[in-house]
Amino acid sequence: MNVLEVSGVHKQFGGLVALDDVNFQVRKGSVTAVIGPNGAGKTTFFNLITGVYQPDRGDIRLEGKPLVGLRPDQVAMLGIARTFQNIRLFADLPVLDNVLVAMHGRLSARIPGILLGRRQIRQEERRAIGEAYWLLEYMGLAPYANEIAKNLPYGTQRRLEIARALATHPKLLLLDEPAAGMSPRETRELTEMIHRLREDFGLTVVLIEHDMKLVMNISEHILVLDYGRAIAEGPPEEIRNNPRVIEAYLGRGAVSGA
Amino acid sequence: MIAQTLQSLPQVLVDGVTLGAVYATVAIGYTMVYGILELINFAHGEIFMSGAFIGTAILLVLNGAGWLAHLPKLLVLLLTLLVAMALTGLLGMGIERVAYRPLRHAPRLIPLISAIGVSFVLQDVVRFIAEWRTGNYIVTGVTLYGSEVNFGSITVKSNALFVLGAAVVMMAGLDLFVRKTKWGTAMRAVAQDKDTAALMSINVNRVIALTFFMGSALGGATGVLFAQQYGTIDPYIGFILGLKAFTAAVLGGIGNIRGAMFGGFVLGILEMFASAELGPLTGGVLGAEYKDVFAFIILIAVLLFKPEGLFGQAVKEKV
Amino acid sequence: MKDRMPRLRARLRQPRTQAMLLAAYTALSAAGLAFGGLSILWFLLLLVSLLLLYYSDLPRMVKWVWAGVVVAVLLPVCASNGSSYESFMEVATQMGIFVAMALGLNVVVGFAGLLDLGFIAFFALGAYTYAIFFSDQANHFIAGHHFPLSGDLFWLCLPVGLFVAALFGVLLGLPVLRVKGDYLAIVTLGFGEIIRIIFNNLDKPVNITNGAIGISSVQAPRFFGISLSFPHQFYYLVLVLLAIVLYAVQRLEHSRVGRAWKAVREDEIAAQAMGVPLVRTKLVAFAVGASFSGLMGVVFAAKQAFIDPTSFTMLESITILVMVILGGMGSLPGVVVGACLVTLLNIQLMPELTNWLNTLTTAGVINFPSALSPSKMQRLIFGIILILFAVFRPQGMIPAKTRRYDDAVLSRLAAEWRETAGGARRDGAHPAVPGYTSGHAAGQEGAKEGASL
Repeated sequence: MNVLEVSGVHKQFGGLVALDDVNFQVRKGSVTAVIGPNGAGKTTFFNLITGVYQPDRGDIRLEGKPLVGLRPDQVAMLGIARTFQNIRLFADLPVLDNVLVAMHGRLSARIPGILLGRRQIRQEERRAIGEAYWLLEYMGLAPYANEIAKNLPYGTQRRLEIARALATHPKLLLLDEPAAGMSPRETRELTEMIHRLREDFGLTVVLIEHDMKLVMNISEHILVLDYGRAIAEGPPEEIRNNPRVIEAYLGRGAVSGA
Repeated sequence: MIAQTLQSLPQVLVDGVTLGAVYATVAIGYTMVYGILELINFAHGEIFMSGAFIGTAILLVLNGAGWLAHLPKLLVLLLTLLVAMALTGLLGMGIERVAYRPLRHAPRLIPLISAIGVSFVLQDVVRFIAEWRTGNYIVTGVTLYGSEVNFGSITVKSNALFVLGAAVVMMAGLDLFVRKTKWGTAMRAVAQDKDTAALMSINVNRVIALTFFMGSALGGATGVLFAQQYGTIDPYIGFILGLKAFTAAVLGGIGNIRGAMFGGFVLGILEMFASAELGPLTGGVLGAEYKDVFAFIILIAVLLFKPEGLFGQAVKEKV
Repeated sequence: MKDRMPRLRARLRQPRTQAMLLAAYTALSAAGLAFGGLSILWFLLLLVSLLLLYYSDLPRMVKWVWAGVVVAVLLPVCASNGSSYESFMEVATQMGIFVAMALGLNVVVGFAGLLDLGFIAFFALGAYTYAIFFSDQANHFIAGHHFPLSGDLFWLCLPVGLFVAALFGVLLGLPVLRVKGDYLAIVTLGFGEIIRIIFNNLDKPVNITNGAIGISSVQAPRFFGISLSFPHQFYYLVLVLLAIVLYAVQRLEHSRVGRAWKAVREDEIAAQAMGVPLVRTKLVAFAVGASFSGLMGVVFAAKQAFIDPTSFTMLESITILVMVILGGMGSLPGVVVGACLVTLLNIQLMPELTNWLNTLTTAGVINFPSALSPSKMQRLIFGIILILFAVFRPQGMIPAKTRRYDDAVLSRLAAEWRETAGGARRDGAHPAVPGYTSGHAAGQEGAKEGASL
């Protein structure tokens, strides 16, 4: 069964075709990687799925529900959470609040209730704080709960971004270069963590990544983009030996990785 | 009633173009700074106002010394313009250095706040000097070309021709400068991408300072012309005029110099039309006093329906 | 000496010691206010005691009660000893009005990060709402000579003013909040001016606002048959309203709504990606901020019994902004202090300084040009404050504090949550984590109407 179905998606910025008729399916519970040289349209692809951009044509569906035309917050509420290539935390807020914000859509407190201090809302808030802290514990971030997000070390910020994404209760988690700037050890830990997340939260994961070792290790399925086109798709072994992929990378003297 | 409107139309057009020239040159200052720093330079309206006061002061002093009658008018006007341009240009550079440069990496709200601060300081300093020297902060200057010329039913102050002429010359000059010279190219490069421009060994700070100098000098010169055209000035003219010039800049697509010029003229004509015809058209319900409201409605409409302006390109924030 | 310091410090950290010191200080400044000269100084010192109280480690309830006693009993009683009781109360009332407005602007600027430069417009809306219907002005456009309404209805007009201002906040926000952030500043600046122009000209074709002349003979509010007309009566009125505003703001700050505001301030794109609807969140901030302003506008009109458009200029908008920036954006104690200081500066310090300089000039001691008189220098002073704080101290005098949670409490709440979060997934794939079901009921509902606040 497919969680995400992207069909015939096309996006153009002025004269530049960022994505050209891309078709793509993500199987439920899988880990899928989107790879490609810089400027291939990977992040644009994520932005289209999450509603930051709207496609010029084509269809995107999450478990059969159409996403095109929805705002990013609506897409998030349907069950897609993401992290960002260049970390976008709420820099001046405490770590715990970063996670609490992501529960926004699941909480019901409104102004009158908040002002009247209704029991039900106080209860809800307690539970939200409990869950947020539990998520921090799960991600090994509990000691930082009261820190200001921007003061965390880089790798920890990346983990917080994932914790925050989890707090929206996603079905599909999009990770945009999660290993960027990480040491080999941190990357190994990340691999384990992604597996664990999938098991524990029943998630489907799609990630953009340049670290080929990580990609080949972790993903069951790979989509290769080049100049906005899907030039190959399949399991890692197949991608590794695909001549078009090798050309796309090596032809320009870029990363060989695999 | 339509016949009446049609009859007054040529006069409205002439007045509108004159006012539009003022908006256009001030709008250029907003658009240049926004193009390069993505900052609304709130103080720009006050630079315009300072220009008006500097020009008026020079002329009043010359007049008081009795020299004005003996010098050729054109020379006096040119000199006044040049001095006012130099001073307001330096003023703009100084403002950038003190109130904006330290804040280039601060959250976006912060430079806006210091910009408002600068604009308040300028208003009060000018008020103080004017009031101190003349006893009143509302100042009536010396008009060099006060005569009126009649073309059929249209009356034109001969001064308006100078306003138009000077505005066109300055705008054409600026346009050439930005497009053809090395510094102009550097300016466009910095507007595109400061970091890359810096890597290409462009001195970004100097380019920004130059941008402020030129934008402010244009604004200051326009102030001088404005004082000539409309006679009486006060320290608060920069506020509403700045708001309208900004509207013109947005109308033409902020960051786009030619767009700002176009927007200025469009707004000037629309406003003159509104102030002349709003009364008759609405049967006296709304009068000329709503002309400022009118400009503001244009601003909101543009932001709503075409936020990139008539000539700007839609820019999406990079995610 | 050296080993004494830590012990002293430990002592000072004890709430009981703090309470005693604070009580002594408060008593001293109150006595000064009651019996000393230079009353404004003692008045300030007494207010400082509230700030110290805020920083003390006393329990929250104690702080509230203590502060209540100081402002509701101590301050008026001590001030009543002097000759200028009512003028004192007048100053304090004005302070209260401005504090409430600054708190409102703080929601917009400090919490949600939206620069509103026309904030006074909402104050004007509240003021005119009251003035028009509680004077005979409304008879000009509503037939039947029903007006002025009775001062007993003042209490009804408070929520009406609040609502009218909030409504206009939304109406202005709807088009404007969709566009980029910095345009907002200039559009609100224009809006403030436009509202003033409209009030200034709405004496024709139908006379609604009486134009530049303004509306006079506005009814005084009545409270159980007592007509409120003395400053000290308004002082208590403002005090009650201010307490409500303060309570509301700090409740909202640490709620789902306040977090959403701050998230939007920090990063719009990330906030949206986490399910926070952008426009709606901003609109709510706008409306809440505006509503406080509208509420105080009603009080202002009732207190002055006369209003005209000159009370609602851009200078007033910027004055409130200065209060927020000076005190500290997003910081409630900061904003309160900022508002008090700027109000004092405006209505007490600068006029007195002007008088003093004038006296000296008339006496021939100095020759001080009237152009430079301090009461005319507001713009200069505010401008300098704005520049200096923007460049050197953008967080303001008293920076916003983040709420800290006790780790033990957090662990307990987390354990509680884990216990109660039951429910494995129905579709077979059982995730190990409770609570994370695939049902997503709340989420789907939220998406349909766009998760709402």
